[in-house]
Amino acid sequence: MKKYLAIITMQLINNIAYPGDFLGRSISIGIFLFIFAGLWGTTFRIAGTDSINGLTFANMMWYLMMAETIELGRPRTNRIISEQVKNGEVAYILNKPYNFLMYHFSFGVGDSLLRVAMNIGVGLLAAWLLAGPPPSLLGWGMALVTLIGAWILHFCMMALIGLAAFLVEETNSFELIYQKFVFVLGGMLLPLDMFPEWLQGIARALPFPYMMYTPARLFVKPDVELFWQMLGVQWLWVIALVFLLAIAYRGSERVLTVNGG
Amino acid sequence: MTSIEVHDLHKVFQTKRKAAGLGASVRALFKPEYREVEAVRQLSFQMESGELLGFIGPNGAGKSTTIKMLTGILHPTGGDAKVLGYVPWKERQKLAFHIGTVFGQRPQLWYHLPAIDTFTLFGKIYELDDRETKKRIDFLTEAFEIRDLLETPVRKLSLGQRMRCEVAASLLHRPKLILLDEPSIGLDVVAKQHIRDAIRRMNQEEGVGVLLTSHDAGDLEALCKRVIIINHGQIVYEDKVSNLKRKHLTSKLVEVRYAQEVPANFHLDGVEVLKVGRYGVKLRFDTAHTSVDKVMAHLSSVGDLVDITISDPPLEEVIAKIYREAPTRMSRRE
Repeated sequence: MKKYLAIITMQLINNIAYPGDFLGRSISIGIFLFIFAGLWGTTFRIAGTDSINGLTFANMMWYLMMAETIELGRPRTNRIISEQVKNGEVAYILNKPYNFLMYHFSFGVGDSLLRVAMNIGVGLLAAWLLAGPPPSLLGWGMALVTLIGAWILHFCMMALIGLAAFLVEETNSFELIYQKFVFVLGGMLLPLDMFPEWLQGIARALPFPYMMYTPARLFVKPDVELFWQMLGVQWLWVIALVFLLAIAYRGSERVLTVNGG
Repeated sequence: MTSIEVHDLHKVFQTKRKAAGLGASVRALFKPEYREVEAVRQLSFQMESGELLGFIGPNGAGKSTTIKMLTGILHPTGGDAKVLGYVPWKERQKLAFHIGTVFGQRPQLWYHLPAIDTFTLFGKIYELDDRETKKRIDFLTEAFEIRDLLETPVRKLSLGQRMRCEVAASLLHRPKLILLDEPSIGLDVVAKQHIRDAIRRMNQEEGVGVLLTSHDAGDLEALCKRVIIINHGQIVYEDKVSNLKRKHLTSKLVEVRYAQEVPANFHLDGVEVLKVGRYGVKLRFDTAHTSVDKVMAHLSSVGDLVDITISDPPLEEVIAKIYREAPTRMSRRE
């Protein structure tokens, strides 16, 4: 376990190597929230109502703050694996005494930790200024707990896409398709509560809402019963995707082609 | 004791082929064509523990593919191999504790951080305790003369400095064997010398075996006792470096300067005259066919010798000759 903790620490240090760039990137969540505030402010004004499908303007802003934090802080494992396959660096990753997937998991944790913390910090400030005080401590607690499962689900999907690089090298297009699913069915663009019933049904049968909607929704409207229910389904998806990832890795190892002489 | 045993190792890659132009690109989308490239063909060899073995060949000969199979990164299409008793592609992680690798110009050091951070990380990854890691870093920094470089971000190091750190990092866990894939590529003479000295020292002091691929014959001459020359995925020559020199370095280059003018029709049977100048000649002869005595006697009979230089042709030339003479089967199957 020590070696994986060391990889997490190393990537944390690596992220701090360029503080200017890091701070610059953290500001983007503030810009997104500013744009969303304009859009939703207008929507609520035109609709002439304080709440749409049970969500107020403040709920919407804090929901989007959490959703953006997840989107901007999620692991980018597919890009890293793809890059390593293309430039041949994968040779060094594979010939060390650690599990390849656990290496990327730890690398991803180290990469995300600081980004998530910074996005929460900047997002908190921006959302507070735009929409008033944040949700309750219970909301924070539920969001943080479900954030862990959400992150692991993102990691599994990104790593699955990344492993495709062993075969096809370039995986950006797969990531774009995946991202669109998370945008719509994961509830990033709109909370699922805004969807018609039938679309909500489809979304809930897939893993995407548990990557995005679950933490964001519980953050703004904490509900103990819903929390346990969503947490349970989320971890069932975690188990299923981890299992799938392990099988995919075994299969892809044999077909790897390392570029370069 | 044997550290590497390879029998009939074979690797075939499938690569997409596509003619130039838009039309061909569109056709390739619907009906992709593949061709098979045999990177390594029925390779068999052995390496003893602590040996310094050179694995030489031109670009695309199959050297790196072989190394990657021996470290377990690539699965072979056929054949067997054992490295330190492990089947690499089945027991990659166990094997990783006992071998070190350096792949040419690809960095294993974290690019934006000082090398000391990667060294410390490797200590954890190879499960060394902190005290042992520190002791080992102290030893390697002295052996590779990198003490002043350790705290500089890797991206700010010169290629030569970085390569010294790379090779040192690959030795942190006291491997029994290191596989160096083109460690001197792109380095200047001094940097190459530094790396070679340090590798030789590690071999002598710690008995670490070295399998070195290179297309620089200088690496071979400076480091290796035995050489395997590979071309088109096959072994074309395998012998001690000293035998390679004895058997193939039979031709001599001679340059002579005289006190008087040299006759324009300078000639000697069995000797190839490369150049005749006003006061000097340059010639080449094969010691297997023409005796050194005879050549020297003739040279001194021509006039008063002012200066004479006798040299071997560069090893590169010898190796290139071996490549040319080796059977060159087509390496591709459509």
